Amino acid sequence: MLDLLTDNLDAFVSGLWVTTRLVGASFVVALVLGTVVAALRVSPSVALARLGGVYVEIFRNIPLLVLLFIAFAGVRRGGIDITAWTAGILSLGVYTSAYVAEALRSGVAAVSRGQVEASLSLGFTFAQTLRRVVLPQAFQTVIQPLGSITIAMVKNSAIVGASLLALPDLLKEARIINSNTFQTTESFFWAAVGYLLLTVTITIVFRVLEARYAVRR
Amino acid sequence: MHTSRWRWLLTAALAAIALGLMAVGCGGGGDDEAEPAADVKQFPPDTTMGRIQEEGEIAIGVKYDVPPFGFRNPTSGDIEGFDIDFGQAVADALGVEPRFTEAISDNRIPFIQDGTVDLVLSTMTINPERAEEIGFTDPYFIARGRILVPEGSEITDVQTLAGKRVCTALGSTYEDTLREQAPDAELRLVDTYSECLELLQNGAVDAISTDDVILTGMIIQDDSLRLVGDDLTIEPYGGGFAKGDEQFSQFLNGVLEDYKGDGRWAAAYQEWLGQFTGEKQEPPTETVEDALAGAS
Repeated sequence: MLDLLTDNLDAFVSGLWVTTRLVGASFVVALVLGTVVAALRVSPSVALARLGGVYVEIFRNIPLLVLLFIAFAGVRRGGIDITAWTAGILSLGVYTSAYVAEALRSGVAAVSRGQVEASLSLGFTFAQTLRRVVLPQAFQTVIQPLGSITIAMVKNSAIVGASLLALPDLLKEARIINSNTFQTTESFFWAAVGYLLLTVTITIVFRVLEARYAVRR
Repeated sequence: MHTSRWRWLLTAALAAIALGLMAVGCGGGGDDEAEPAADVKQFPPDTTMGRIQEEGEIAIGVKYDVPPFGFRNPTSGDIEGFDIDFGQAVADALGVEPRFTEAISDNRIPFIQDGTVDLVLSTMTINPERAEEIGFTDPYFIARGRILVPEGSEITDVQTLAGKRVCTALGSTYEDTLREQAPDAELRLVDTYSECLELLQNGAVDAISTDDVILTGMIIQDDSLRLVGDDLTIEPYGGGFAKGDEQFSQFLNGVLEDYKGDGRWAAAYQEWLGQFTGEKQEPPTETVEDALAGAS
């Protein structure tokens, strides 16, 4: 069991690093886009709110594998020279941003109406109110669901490596090791350990964030 | 009030799913079991052949996306090809029905080891590493490793692959072949050759390397593609089965001998390859030992 890990340590570490970078970059994309879309969804403009709603429904309801295929094969055939990394980060980020937007929207809903009215009556614009009053509290409310979404993203990242993009992520490296050694159980056991390392780290980080910043109601 | 209604709905839904699963589980068994024909030899029940005859079907792992060896006919939806014809011949010799299952390069050896399939006929090259894990029949086809590029590519042979992106299937022999013969090429390993073709057509890779016959299948689909360079390797295809099953091995090689001798091999070659390439080929005469000796 341990032999397989020590013999192929470079490959496992490199795969874990690719997965980490993929998840890290996608997390940034998901957080930025998710915040923008959540802001759209709660905006007083009906058109903007509807636009946000359409975004969420589209990207939450298309399987990630299909998004990856469109982002890589479709866009390339459209003449845009997108790389596998860009396609992977964008797909995973955009897919996850729909969930982030929904989580944030529930956080926004938890901020009392009175605060918004007070802020507006003090002369803040809606955008200022959102940015300075509502969203900071919304983020504090949704730390725990954001943690779950991030963990789901780590697991979803395995789809990127198994797809057409062929990025050498943790699962891909494990499969290459498996195809060279035929030690199926061992290869995937160590891949599972790698994913657990990532998800447990994320769980701990979010626990700390929650203990420090979460709003208790 | 609401909760009880939901609970009722949930129970109903679960029951429906359970019934559906049971229906699926029961389907396909029992009633349509093929009675072995009178002229088929009956094997003792403790052999693999006897067990297959008992079950009335042989599970065969094949490719679903590698024309002309194993692929889904777009009009009929049936799985067809050179490998499928040989699989049918094996089933005929046992007087049973073949049940074809998709076996991609990456999962076909586990499928044999865990008993998912009795036999794998999926453009699988006989090599010593695999022979450690599974048993092989004598070669039923000899393919050659080549490189496929789009028209006008600057790649002309294996040397010019340096710095280029080359696609092949994860778990295929070309993973190693390319690492040895084109160490500076950038490998893209995907699950299926149809994915390689997509990547070549959309420009994400510069070349595909695998068996000439698989590449010929791609040219049949897209005639702007070209084969370049010399043969990288000789790839004898063998049927795969559980390691150490000597009786099954002898039986399969006997079926192959008849298949090659009575003209069925030549007919299959003409149907799946000859009519497209215009070439003629004799059935392979090597044994699995020859193939393993040649590879090492």
